[in-house]
Amino acid sequence: MSSPTQALFANRWLPVLLVTPLALLIVIFFYVPIFQAFYWSFFLERPFGGGSIFVGWANFARVLSDPQFWEAGKRTVIFMVIGSSLAVLVPLILAVAADRQLRLSQPARNVLVWPKGVAGASIGVIFAFIFNPFVGILSPLNQWFPGIWAPGIDGTDAFIMLIAAHVWSGIPFNFVILLAGLQSLPRTMHQAAAMDGAGAWRRIFDVQLPLIMPQVFLTLVLEFTESVTSAFALVDTMTKGGPGGSTNLLVYKIYVDGFNGYDLSGAATQTAILMVFVVLLTGAQFAFLGRRINYER
Amino acid sequence: MNAIDTSIDSAIRAAASAIVLENVSKSYDGTTQVIPPLDAELRAGEFTVVLGPSGCGKSTLMQMIAGLERVSGGTISFGARKVQDLEPKERGCAMVFQNYALYPHMSVFENIAYSLKVAGMPKPERVERVEAVAKMLGLSDLLARKPGQLSGGQRQRVAIGRAIVREPGVLLFDEPLSNLDAQLRHDMRMELAELHRRIGATTVFVTHDQVEAMTLADRILILNKGRIEQFDTPKAIYHKPASVFVAKFIGAPPMNIVPVTGDGKVLRLADGQVLVECPVFGDYQLGIRPEDILVGEGPIKAGLRYREDLGSHAILAADLGGNLLRIATPFGADIGTEANLSLTFPPLRLHLFDAETGRAIPGAFSAQ
Repeated sequence: MSSPTQALFANRWLPVLLVTPLALLIVIFFYVPIFQAFYWSFFLERPFGGGSIFVGWANFARVLSDPQFWEAGKRTVIFMVIGSSLAVLVPLILAVAADRQLRLSQPARNVLVWPKGVAGASIGVIFAFIFNPFVGILSPLNQWFPGIWAPGIDGTDAFIMLIAAHVWSGIPFNFVILLAGLQSLPRTMHQAAAMDGAGAWRRIFDVQLPLIMPQVFLTLVLEFTESVTSAFALVDTMTKGGPGGSTNLLVYKIYVDGFNGYDLSGAATQTAILMVFVVLLTGAQFAFLGRRINYER
Repeated sequence: MNAIDTSIDSAIRAAASAIVLENVSKSYDGTTQVIPPLDAELRAGEFTVVLGPSGCGKSTLMQMIAGLERVSGGTISFGARKVQDLEPKERGCAMVFQNYALYPHMSVFENIAYSLKVAGMPKPERVERVEAVAKMLGLSDLLARKPGQLSGGQRQRVAIGRAIVREPGVLLFDEPLSNLDAQLRHDMRMELAELHRRIGATTVFVTHDQVEAMTLADRILILNKGRIEQFDTPKAIYHKPASVFVAKFIGAPPMNIVPVTGDGKVLRLADGQVLVECPVFGDYQLGIRPEDILVGEGPIKAGLRYREDLGSHAILAADLGGNLLRIATPFGADIGTEANLSLTFPPLRLHLFDAETGRAIPGAFSAQ
């Protein structure tokens, strides 16, 4: 096990020292809480403190038999699939356009990166305003067809609003990754395809997309896992899970159950289940997709 | 091993068309011209090598012929068709790229078949064509592989196969051999010559390698800063270079060029040494190839500085009145050990160039 990278450090403790700060952060703020959530999911916690009792799988039995949990789970999956797909598809279209050197693509490249600097909660507030049925951009629709856009009453409208905000916040990172992938393709690849008679559209599907599959895959995996958790800020600022629980995603339900309902054990159990789900999902993505998309250039 | 199979009669044969460039120019910013207006006719079925140093505009010229770069002015015709405003796919030419530019996600079969697929050719015909090309190029056993699993020479063949499968009337090569090692480059040269003979497409081959140019070309077009220095057969280019640039660019080692002054009777060096009789006045550049200089008895004196024995012959580096003079002598020729060489410049082997323009002055020595 003498890899060439080991030789780069003269002092064998130096690499350990350099890794320690980040490792500490990850352990304290990720592994410890996760371990605790798993631990608590086997205990019944008193809501206002004062000790806990070991209850075995009882928490899981309770959560899994709760129809609200399954509802929230179903909404989470729908949000994940639609939201993540759009959050990759929209930046992909933008990246292809920017890579083509269309007019204004240079300023667009800068503008499209800006949302990266905006916190999730701020995005939620802004989009709640943009989609406001009285003053938002869709409010004229209500003048022509009264009641057609009502995210405060209509669950579907609220869900659409949530996904729009999520997609918008996902543009910068995915755009940068996908554009970098497109720009790494050699110019002669385009020229060769052009010589073979493929027009611009055909080249996108026959050459560009297959060759940036590693980047598409990366953004999809990150999006899938992130959409499960990062939707919290949006739900909290835009809909509070409403109307009628129609945007109550699992991650928001956990928060409400735990910190408003004081069902600490139930929240810990749902966290554990969500965690296992995300791990399985990522594993499945790598198993089924990851293997087929790497090419030797 | 898998050389081009010459036993089968070519199923792939193109209808070659001449390429005529008229006033073709290229400028990227509207002010500096990469290629000033240029005229050339590349005859149908001919193998033309475009030769020049890097940055001379040869790749730009090829890309304009291919349709990958727009012309800034002038016209390009393939046969009777004006093609300068057409898309690459409408021009009916194919190209082999320097880095091959194979599609890494497609198999060898798919790479070769891609242009046919885009053109909408039915699958059975496609398979037939690809298999014929693969057989010709010795790729039949590799059709299922991905480019990443091939050697450099095999990739080169796939790139060629992809180009010729459509039976293009014009075949373009952009420095296709520069990524290969010396032995493979030599083998591929022979195969390309053979291939051209059988396919018969009008071929344009861009390179900076004079050996490739001399061995492959029917005619060589030498470019310098976007201008045509000379466009002629390899033999004429070697024996009658049209300019100092061409004289120095072709030959290894290149032609010796020394500044001389004529007084109406003889040409002298700056230090007064007489080199040869010639009835001209004024400043000139005198050229002689290393292998044309006779060593031994002779009126011209030069100091030997260095000697390289290469087996078949030896290269001497000598000092001729402050100018470096390279001399090629048969191996083991007795030139003595003294530092002072006696040389003869045979008049019929001399080339005279204008001191200002560098253009050749024909007949300067044959007239005597």
